[in-house]
Amino acid sequence: MFVSELHVTKINKKHMKSFSIKKSGTDFLYFMLSMCILLGIWALISKITKAEIPGPKSTWLVFKELMAEPFYDRGPNDKGIGNQLMSSLLRVFYGFGLGSLIAIPTGLIMGASKTGMKLLNPLVQILRPVSPLAWFPLGLLAFKSAGGATIFIIAITSLWPTLINTAFGVASIPADHKNVGKVFGFSAWKYLTKIMLPYSLPHIITGLRLSIGVAWMVIVAGEMLSGGVGIGFFVWDSWNGLSLEKILIAILIIGAVGLLLDKFFNSLQNAFAWDKN
Amino acid sequence: MLLHGTKTKIMINTNCTEDILDEVNELIHAPAMETAVDIRNVTVSFKGKKGVYTAIKDINLAIYKGEIISFIGHSGCGKSTLMNTISGMVKPSKGEVFANGNLIKGPGPDRGVVFQNYSLLPWLSVYKNIKVAVDSVFKQKTHEQKASLIERNLKMVNLWEHRDKLPGHLSGGMKQRVAIARAFAIDPKVLLLDEPFGALDALTKSSMHVELLKMWNLDHREKTVVMVTHDIEEAIFLSDRIVVMNNGPEATIKEIVELHLPRPRNKKNIVHDPAYMEIHDRLLNLLIDKFSIND
Ligand SMILES: Nc1ncnc2c1ncn2[C@@H]1O[C@H](COP(=O)(O)OP(=O)(O)O)[C@@H](O)[C@H]1O
Ligand SMILES: [Mg+2]
Repeated sequence: MFVSELHVTKINKKHMKSFSIKKSGTDFLYFMLSMCILLGIWALISKITKAEIPGPKSTWLVFKELMAEPFYDRGPNDKGIGNQLMSSLLRVFYGFGLGSLIAIPTGLIMGASKTGMKLLNPLVQILRPVSPLAWFPLGLLAFKSAGGATIFIIAITSLWPTLINTAFGVASIPADHKNVGKVFGFSAWKYLTKIMLPYSLPHIITGLRLSIGVAWMVIVAGEMLSGGVGIGFFVWDSWNGLSLEKILIAILIIGAVGLLLDKFFNSLQNAFAWDKN
Repeated sequence: MLLHGTKTKIMINTNCTEDILDEVNELIHAPAMETAVDIRNVTVSFKGKKGVYTAIKDINLAIYKGEIISFIGHSGCGKSTLMNTISGMVKPSKGEVFANGNLIKGPGPDRGVVFQNYSLLPWLSVYKNIKVAVDSVFKQKTHEQKASLIERNLKMVNLWEHRDKLPGHLSGGMKQRVAIARAFAIDPKVLLLDEPFGALDALTKSSMHVELLKMWNLDHREKTVVMVTHDIEEAIFLSDRIVVMNNGPEATIKEIVELHLPRPRNKKNIVHDPAYMEIHDRLLNLLIDKFSIND
């Protein structure tokens, strides 16, 4: 299981690269073409279903309406799309941050010590496949609030890629680098800051990039359960209000924000890739 | 101590006239010479899946202070293993190794290592690669003392202008020089070089030989240099003694060849020296001998 996740990481890395948009040149052109295909398929489906699924045009009209006042606030269950998005992002960052704070040190321990690996790996393998929805009641019980529970499920489901990549990064430090530490008598702190962390940083960032993707995916499910405010709640609320246009808008916004988050971590990856420059 | 004093005086008073260097050479080979590294009855076995593999067996060797000694032998015969018992990265299964009078229990800054593959930290600049080592070894020195130490060593290998580059942007020869500067900067009594010039082209290799000897001279020839090499010419040009090893498993020392070639040695002239040619032939025979046994 440990290995298969790494494999996925590798494929994703290659795969994602080709999806990342560059502002300049042909990449941008391809991106626009790709969007055109999306619109085309969408329009086609709308036509086939006889507008039971709204087409791009009618959705655009609702979108304009929503964007006219994105940050309005009319009580707990009636907030602008901007507000919904912001509160979702905030939760994602809390959950993701919390998860990373657990994942990175644990990953360092697992990668650096064979005992740590043997002790913690079974735990990781058992907890990792658990669905975020299964964790939710436990979160409610522990935090006594839906918001707390949402942050909890984001943390616990998004920490695994970071943990596994960190552990892999540390475990793969070449003997050459370790020997430098031995021969020149590095203290534990110096070894951590000058060898272990710099070497595994690209792996850690790859993990973080996968984790933020998971976190962003989980938020929608979490908020559908928790209600209140957030983009996931917005989807649920729109369904109850039978506004399919709003659901489609939410889907597109979720996709776009996910892409931007990924772009951000991609640029971090490039900034810290000592091995590629 | 007396000996030590005499030698230093010779070095200061003369500017490398050959007779006196001969005298220094004599001193180096005098049996009363201080022992820098003492390898006693060392056997190293590795436990593998297919059982125990004994790489080297019952090795005895005293390496003198200030000498340059080379290990030569076929690939896989255990040169690196023997070297690593001195660096402290391999523990002998039997026997002990002493460095500067102390039993070796692990790696330490009294023994500088230049690894076969440079082993620079790729995320640190040339300067910082040396700085981490210096910071780690000389905890008491002031910031200024350390800075001047790093500067001196980088200038010695002509890399001061390249100090801000990352190792990935350097050529093999430059990386090697950084590794050597790093080993010299921590001022070890014993310098261990494992095939340090193996990956270099002939020209760079030659200039690195000269560079190494220069540094050794600048240090009044007090550093002990232990080197592993594949290259007979290199071994002869640099060494005072050459240790020829048998093939493994259970490799032993086949023969120790003493060189009485005067220093400073000149790369171009030395090859015409009859003594050089004799040693070259002898080494070649010792090494080729093994082929015929194997075949
Ligand atoms: N850590 C190790 N574990 C198992 N076998 C080893 C290890 N290190 C070296 N050996 C074996 O010991 C022998 C000598 O290796 P080495 O000292 O590296 O040879 P050389 O440096 O002369 O090429 C080889 O057969 C090698 O496979
Ligand atoms: Mg070797």
